[in-house]
Amino acid sequence: MLRYNISTIFLLLAAFLVQQFVPALTGLSNARILLVHLVFLCAAVTVATPTMLLLAFIGGIFWDAHTSLAPIIADPEVYTQPAESLRFGYSILLFGAMGFLMQGLYPLFRQGKWHFSAVLTGIATFLYLAADYSLISFVRGDFVITRPIIRLMSYTSLLTMLFSPLIFWLLFLLAKASGHSLYPEAGKNRRR
Amino acid sequence: MKPLNLIALLLFLAGATWALTRSEQVVREIQIAYFKIISPTLKSGSALETKSRSLLSETRHSKESEAKLAVIEGEIGRLRIIESRFKELERENSELRHALDFKKATNFDVVAAQIIRRHPTTWWQTMEIDAGEDRGIGIQLSVLSNDGLVGIIDRPFHSRSSVLLITDEKCQVSVRVEGSPEVGILSGQRGEFDSSPMLRLRFLSKNASLKPGQRVFTTGRGGIFQPNILVGTIASVERGPLDSEALVKPAVDLSDLGTVFVVLSENH
Repeated sequence: MLRYNISTIFLLLAAFLVQQFVPALTGLSNARILLVHLVFLCAAVTVATPTMLLLAFIGGIFWDAHTSLAPIIADPEVYTQPAESLRFGYSILLFGAMGFLMQGLYPLFRQGKWHFSAVLTGIATFLYLAADYSLISFVRGDFVITRPIIRLMSYTSLLTMLFSPLIFWLLFLLAKASGHSLYPEAGKNRRR
Repeated sequence: MKPLNLIALLLFLAGATWALTRSEQVVREIQIAYFKIISPTLKSGSALETKSRSLLSETRHSKESEAKLAVIEGEIGRLRIIESRFKELERENSELRHALDFKKATNFDVVAAQIIRRHPTTWWQTMEIDAGEDRGIGIQLSVLSNDGLVGIIDRPFHSRSSVLLITDEKCQVSVRVEGSPEVGILSGQRGEFDSSPMLRLRFLSKNASLKPGQRVFTTGRGGIFQPNILVGTIASVERGPLDSEALVKPAVDLSDLGTVFVVLSENH
């Protein structure tokens, strides 16, 4: 169990490295595969709550390190209404919330029904992006929702979800290598 | 809730609060450490993206490029002649300023950089260039192309920097409209992810008489951008009860940029 938990942390860190090779698809409204989020969401359903929260903290803090913008220091008499940015660290809370959402399907996952979790990764990614965008709108004022935004969120979620079986397969391999079972209840049912 | 889960949740919330209350300096240190760790893959990822982009571009424009190259070669020759004349004028100007005992001479130092990564984040309109602090680049320096203003340096690192594009809502520019007394603040619009996003020019006078096609230049006010840099052209004007706003087409085609110039210093 401990070895498996540690390996999920390493898998999440590896996802940050691989994410650098994933470009934005300009033909699909700049959508991209959010590999870091996908690994976190898939791992979240396979581990206990404390490990999930640790993964959320690591994922959130590194994601913000990767994406946060510097404040613009300009003459306030000229730039009277600067556009605010989200505070560094907000992604930790979003990752945590999505992790809890994924753990809602933990009972089904334990029975071997990983397909539901795979679909939920897409939904969770969409909700993550929607919450992210809502927070930006909240701090900057004016809730603007346009077709390109909806397309960006939808395509990103869909692309991310399509790769979830691959991540689950990787997690199964890691679990096997660590001598840990991801389907304890499925095993019990088979024995009965 | 199990006691262990409750303790984990409390620790998680404490960690999140710690992160949310960090100062800008600490955030920057975290970012530097993060980018240092991932820099090998960052370079490989950028190189892969640049190669694939150039490959796609080559296949699309191979014949076009040959014709363009011939034109560009001719243009380079012409520009060299102009440059030599310009240098002569600059020297003459400097001598005259010196003779008039001007305390400062105009100095416009730039660093050329290649774009190595586009849209590295989901929501922000940013890109990355292959020049950083090692070449004298610092925070909030203007980034230009041959056609006009591109954006400002958001975060410089050792050998690369991220550029906040003018199409991002956060990048605000104090501008004036050519041939009119109108000045305003130009910024990108949220949710503009198309290939040709428009900029919004706000705080114009109520009866601003602007026409499509009028050029928009930086005023130089506000302490970020140098004056008289072309930003775009007026596309349309929307009149409101208190003020007017205009949509501006950027002068630079941000989707097709290869080389940019970072303005290191300008002394008037």
